[in-house]
Amino acid sequence: MLQLRRTLALLKGETGNQLARTGSSLPFLDSANNSSGLVLQSQSTDVYQNLALEDWIDAHVDLQQRGILLLWRNQPAVVIGRHQNPWSECNLPAMRKMGIALARRRSGGGTVFHDHGNLNLTFFASKKAYDRKRNLKVVTEALRRLRPNLDVRATDRFDILLNGHYKISGTASRLSRKSSYHHCTLLHSADRSALSTVLRPSCPGILSNATPSVPSPVANLIDHAPSLAWEELLEALVQQYNTEFGLSSVFTLVDPSSECVFPGVGNISTELRSWDWTFGRTPKFRVETLLELRDEHLPARCSAQLQMEVKGGQVESCRLDVPAGWLPLWLSRQLSDVLVGERFCPHRAAAAVTAMLRAEKGQFHSRLNNLCEAVLAMMG
Amino acid sequence: MAAYALLRSMSSSFSSVLPLLSRSGSLSPAPLAVKPLFRRTLASSSRFSAALKFTDKHEWVRVEDDGIGTVGISNFAQEALGDVVYCGLPEVGTQLAQQDEFGALESVKAASELYSPLTGEVVEVNSLLADKPGLVNKSCYKDGWLMKMTIAKPAELDSLMDEAAYERYIRSIED
Repeated sequence: MLQLRRTLALLKGETGNQLARTGSSLPFLDSANNSSGLVLQSQSTDVYQNLALEDWIDAHVDLQQRGILLLWRNQPAVVIGRHQNPWSECNLPAMRKMGIALARRRSGGGTVFHDHGNLNLTFFASKKAYDRKRNLKVVTEALRRLRPNLDVRATDRFDILLNGHYKISGTASRLSRKSSYHHCTLLHSADRSALSTVLRPSCPGILSNATPSVPSPVANLIDHAPSLAWEELLEALVQQYNTEFGLSSVFTLVDPSSECVFPGVGNISTELRSWDWTFGRTPKFRVETLLELRDEHLPARCSAQLQMEVKGGQVESCRLDVPAGWLPLWLSRQLSDVLVGERFCPHRAAAAVTAMLRAEKGQFHSRLNNLCEAVLAMMG
Repeated sequence: MAAYALLRSMSSSFSSVLPLLSRSGSLSPAPLAVKPLFRRTLASSSRFSAALKFTDKHEWVRVEDDGIGTVGISNFAQEALGDVVYCGLPEVGTQLAQQDEFGALESVKAASELYSPLTGEVVEVNSLLADKPGLVNKSCYKDGWLMKMTIAKPAELDSLMDEAAYERYIRSIED
């Protein structure tokens, strides 16, 4: 509890009497008094809680005279940029199978994979002091200091490359009224095979103006510096942050699920967790694809053309062209009609077509069922 | 040339046609070829009357003759953003209060929040930006406008800066 109160006072820049009395044993309080730096480390590994903490700090902490560095990591998760399309960025069925969460952040940029082997750094500053190059310099200088032989450089796209080729860090940022945050990933020992499995499109044939990711070959720091320990890395980053910005920040642990320290943070994480935010905020898109159809009772095959428009995550229009000899026109039309207005989501769409499938008991049941399965599979 | 002659022949009735045009926005009896000439005249006269007003968040608003405000971002803002790659704009019908967030522009991995200069309802968004977000950079005061809104509280316009004040403001923050 004392820890919580300390943190709250720190964020508010308060110097309550009780805390001031214990000041000597809490050296970070002095830095708070000077309105200088603060380094926080999240105790949570929940991607939604951590993203909510970022937005909470951005909205509630006065960053005009102070910088904050937040260090955090997550259980396996895929994090897409604010204006991205999850169906074209990641393999949703594989993620479901592997228990990997999907989150949409409020910053721009492309899709990244997080797990315990990936460190996230968030640099909070006033809008005026927003400087991504300088923040990335903290990371590259810290790495050089730790392992002078590592060739690490920031690019014009604000990635950090190892040996001029392998991406070890990606960047994104959000600029608000007066404040800003810039966050970046740092691959220390992430599961690269999981990363390459999940960062593939689920759905073929998506046409969209959403911001696309730029795929890059990636590497982990420990592949090139096997003895580099996690704690050692954190320590060097904090030290370099203080050096770069002339601060004397001390490490403070924070719990982003604590309403007592961060009032209202729960609502932010609830919104980030919702379907409406994660999927529903996808820029309007169009799907044009061929669906392969088969009939279990006959060794027959054919293909159908699907055209769909999806706005706000919901099917706005749907056109299925199935050869009339395969399935009567009225049945494929009926299926299109059922899908319009539904979420572009296999579970919701499955529930919607169930009644239709139940009603069709005749000779076309199997083919209709097959068509429905093909449509649902396309939804990721 | 024929259009020019036609225009000259119509010039006597010009003053009576113009208010009609600006009120209804239609001039169906006029030949098509004349329309661009009319429109240019109209545009230059409305540009004279409808000045830009700026917020300290670098959005501008221009009140057109029909009482609708067109909103965009300033040249200073588009330069600071760099190449805009996506424009996140509100739905038509969204009710906004002055300073509400109404969307975000994405450039070089950064999402920059947009803030409404006035209170009102979104009546149109610039659909060209879906395919050409770069218009915000190329033509921030014209083709790269973001949205149009009703003006529920005209008094709010007085709280915004005119061009001269905005230029002074830019200089003050650059120092």
